[in-house]
Amino acid sequence: MAAEVRSEVITHGEKSAQLISVKHGEAAIGTCFAGYTGIGGTGAVTRIFFIGGEPISVVICPNNDNKQSNKLISIAPAFKNYDQKIYNVLGNSIKRINAGESLANGLRDIMSLLEDGVYTVYTADYYPTDGAGSFFWGAYNIPHEVQGTAEKNRFIGTKSFKPCFLVPSQPLDYFTKKQKAVSDESSKRREIQGIVYHLSGFHSVLLKGHHGAVSCLENDIPFRCAVIEKVCEPYVETFLPPPPPAPAAEPAEGEGDNTDPAQAVQAAQAAQPAPEVPVFVPEGITGFRSPSLKVPIELFPKEMLKLVLEGRPEYKPRQFDALMAKINTSRKKTVSNNILPLSVLEKADQLPDYEMVESAYAVNSLSDEQLNCLLAGDVECKGEVIISPNFYQSIVTACNFLQFTDTKRFVDFTIAVMENPELSATHEYVAKRALTQLSSKKLYKFFTDAVASGDTQYEKILTFANTFISRYKETK
Amino acid sequence: MAFHDLKPVSVNDSKNGKTYIIGNVFAVYNAGPEPPVVYTWDMVKQVSVGRKEIKIDAGSASYSFSNKHFRDVDDNIRAIAIIECRYKEYGFNYQHERRMFPLKSLYNECSPGKEVYVGEAVLDEGETAAAFIALLNFKLMKFLWLVAILIMLITVGILHLNIGITRSNVLYFIPISAAAGGITALLVYIITHAVARGMFKRLCETDISARNPITFVISRSGFAACASCVYESRDLIPWSEMDYFIESDKMFIIYKNNSPVAYIPKKAFEKKTVSSIADIIALSLEQR
Repeated sequence: MAAEVRSEVITHGEKSAQLISVKHGEAAIGTCFAGYTGIGGTGAVTRIFFIGGEPISVVICPNNDNKQSNKLISIAPAFKNYDQKIYNVLGNSIKRINAGESLANGLRDIMSLLEDGVYTVYTADYYPTDGAGSFFWGAYNIPHEVQGTAEKNRFIGTKSFKPCFLVPSQPLDYFTKKQKAVSDESSKRREIQGIVYHLSGFHSVLLKGHHGAVSCLENDIPFRCAVIEKVCEPYVETFLPPPPPAPAAEPAEGEGDNTDPAQAVQAAQAAQPAPEVPVFVPEGITGFRSPSLKVPIELFPKEMLKLVLEGRPEYKPRQFDALMAKINTSRKKTVSNNILPLSVLEKADQLPDYEMVESAYAVNSLSDEQLNCLLAGDVECKGEVIISPNFYQSIVTACNFLQFTDTKRFVDFTIAVMENPELSATHEYVAKRALTQLSSKKLYKFFTDAVASGDTQYEKILTFANTFISRYKETK
Repeated sequence: MAFHDLKPVSVNDSKNGKTYIIGNVFAVYNAGPEPPVVYTWDMVKQVSVGRKEIKIDAGSASYSFSNKHFRDVDDNIRAIAIIECRYKEYGFNYQHERRMFPLKSLYNECSPGKEVYVGEAVLDEGETAAAFIALLNFKLMKFLWLVAILIMLITVGILHLNIGITRSNVLYFIPISAAAGGITALLVYIITHAVARGMFKRLCETDISARNPITFVISRSGFAACASCVYESRDLIPWSEMDYFIESDKMFIIYKNNSPVAYIPKKAFEKKTVSSIADIIALSLEQR
């Protein structure tokens, strides 16, 4: 049965979002459950991200698939290049989008390769890293805990966020200089550089555009991607009731006697202080969400909602047995002489990492007054917790937030922290963060003075200070 | 995560116009154009699966729908399977009738390994009743023999009091007394057979999968006995979850907490494999 792909735009407040439903999809791209690993057979859940009959990435979900735990991700050792038909579909889609077709039309062929469900598509800039400073291609050779892959983030809570880090769908030995030379040219012309499928937390799998990512980072071109996210996670939001109507204006003299008694009672009731109204918790859930989009139930088109309710977050694909048979096999060619350009690796290290992005979503804003309170050792400002009741966590988060949003204030704040001997527990972390600001004269002066002073309070940051000074000199 | 690929079930109650969806979430469409009320399973407080209806208490509301409203028996079995899997995950209060086969909450998803025997069968009423009788005999055998001997002695006593035992009639009295004891034993056997068949019928009423094809799996990792329409090839109950088993000539009966959990008919498997299956079970559980 051919896949039915339908798209619809929904509007919520001032925002609009593109929803695409897939019915009778081929389930050639997606994730599936692949058993348990660990003690007692229930320690961790293993999932695989697959394309066609090929397992692409292995995702180990620790603590019995706890949604607040980061995942261990690695390229599947059995990887072989996937079906040429799928490869062509991906290539054609990116061409169509860049030729001016809408996202819904351009991605239609890819959508028919997905599992049944409702998806949202949009474009967003991605950092081609693993979220910890390593270029994404080649960062997943061995299974390791990848920061920011937890589905639920304790810091961000229930807020929406846009995933922005990448997991490759090809091993690094597929990188060739010849292909990069081609993408160097094409990336300058393209608006959309890649197509990604959301995997977990802040991470998405790059389906198309690996060489483009290398070219974009090397040439300082934003890596803009077409993003596909499945909308299937239920969410609940509590609502505050609308404020009571404003008290009626006092009647003018002489009019009092003619007032309707019912109106007078209403006016009197309105004039009284409003009783404490409990927070309204609706029956059931509010809607379904993806990381970046929350769709209340009443906004879902009827057929799409039915598809969500009668669907599953993950399906067992037809090729499940073949995938399971391949998951523990290995391939012959796993190394190549083609290595990524050094400048790409260095630039990846300078890009925002997971902690910065997380802090930017977790904290709405930080005023100078709040920063001064933090520097004075308070976690509260005007009776309200600034970031967290944990002081050191507050300092670290503030540092990350400023680094992501306001470089100038970040430099001032880090210097202020490092000058404060009472905050010595955070000096090392803050100094490490400051290494990314190699163009800052202020930091150079501070580190130079710190090294020259020989003061014991700077002991912890001396290594970072020397590194900063030498790198600063190299860049000048 | 066992049975994780079960397709959600939609139930339409034509009387009140409501449609219920049991799946990854529990949704209720009321009659009319309003959007549905959707509950995650952690919002569900209690589920009762009765003989005739399923009742779900979720949020501040209570919903019930008759088994008749399911499109077919497979849907009904699948809905109960989904509920039992969610019960394992979310731990709401779950009430159910007596079962012939284990709850889905006992299953784990795991690889069955290399030595695995898979069979399918519909439980036969006669065979299952015979298994029940075997179980009753297992408990009542000595008592039955005692009753037969007592009846024999009482018959001898009655004959002696009324007629008087003499040398000439003693040869008649012995077979008469033996026949009385035998008839009593036969009556008891017939009654137990009727009781056993009644038990099977009652169980069939409470466990709708009992009269449907059942997939039986025996492996070194565990076993499975569940309706074929929901079985997913990697769902097993570890042997460590069970206590002991009894083998009758037609069945293996597996026990947990002194209650039978699964009836596995030998006829579900190829004849030549039955001895290997018996070996696996005997190695995994204590035989009584």
